[in-house]
Amino acid sequence: MSNVEPELLKTLTPAEAEEVLALGTRVHLDTGAELFSLGAPADHLYLVDRGRITLTLPMQVQGREQDVQVEERLPGQTVGWSGLIPPYRFTLKATALLQTEVIALSRSALLEHFARNPYVGYAITRNLAAVIGQRLQVFQAMWLREMQRTVERLSS
Amino acid sequence: MVMFLMAVCLSMFGLAVTAMAFGAATRDERPLEAAQPALKPVLSVPLSPSRFFTDLPIAPALPMAAAARPHVPIEVLLLQIDRHVRLEQAAAESFLDYPTVASLHSRTASPLVH
Repeated sequence: MSNVEPELLKTLTPAEAEEVLALGTRVHLDTGAELFSLGAPADHLYLVDRGRITLTLPMQVQGREQDVQVEERLPGQTVGWSGLIPPYRFTLKATALLQTEVIALSRSALLEHFARNPYVGYAITRNLAAVIGQRLQVFQAMWLREMQRTVERLSS
Repeated sequence: MVMFLMAVCLSMFGLAVTAMAFGAATRDERPLEAAQPALKPVLSVPLSPSRFFTDLPIAPALPMAAAARPHVPIEVLLLQIDRHVRLEQAAAESFLDYPTVASLHSRTASPLVH
């Protein structure tokens, strides 16, 4: 793992973090390679170790469907929390922007580990809630800014 | 001499026929109108502007901005969308760091907004 502390493993001791990382599989992605697609079953959670992942959604631009970036994930950050949250379907498409390495943690392995180590499960769930909450708050603010502009356009 | 007289006669006859035809074509119609019952005035039908050599429908009145908007290449538009999302995300994250009304509605430099 790179020097960056994974946001998902915060508050865990180095030994606990190592045990969790040992559950994962290192996946190498070439530039432009797809990590997962929109709507695909989500069985894994990913920690970005090196490189960069872009999260996109399809959008109609000039009559053509184009992937538009909605977020970018850097080393230490988590990708694909849908792997731990029902209904276990990815709601975005993830692609490597450059040579990238991620650690893929399977849901089944994580849940078994959490059952054996409840404190680790609790800490990771809290960290995951922070990731999800941060995204929710960012998009909430973005949505409100967009709404404000729409209202201004309509009233001008 | 006989041929000359014949030519003059034919010319006079032709002139007379021409004069009669001219008179018939330019005859005053007013006496006939007076005899007819009052006619309804002809309604004026708005004509569409002439459009020679084109099958394009008449364009509806477009807003000036839309009519004057230049065609943006898709690559440029995608870059603008990308920049817009990044700027908006940065603004939203800045709001989360220091939540105030001013930071929530801070102005953006995005070309998609201006």
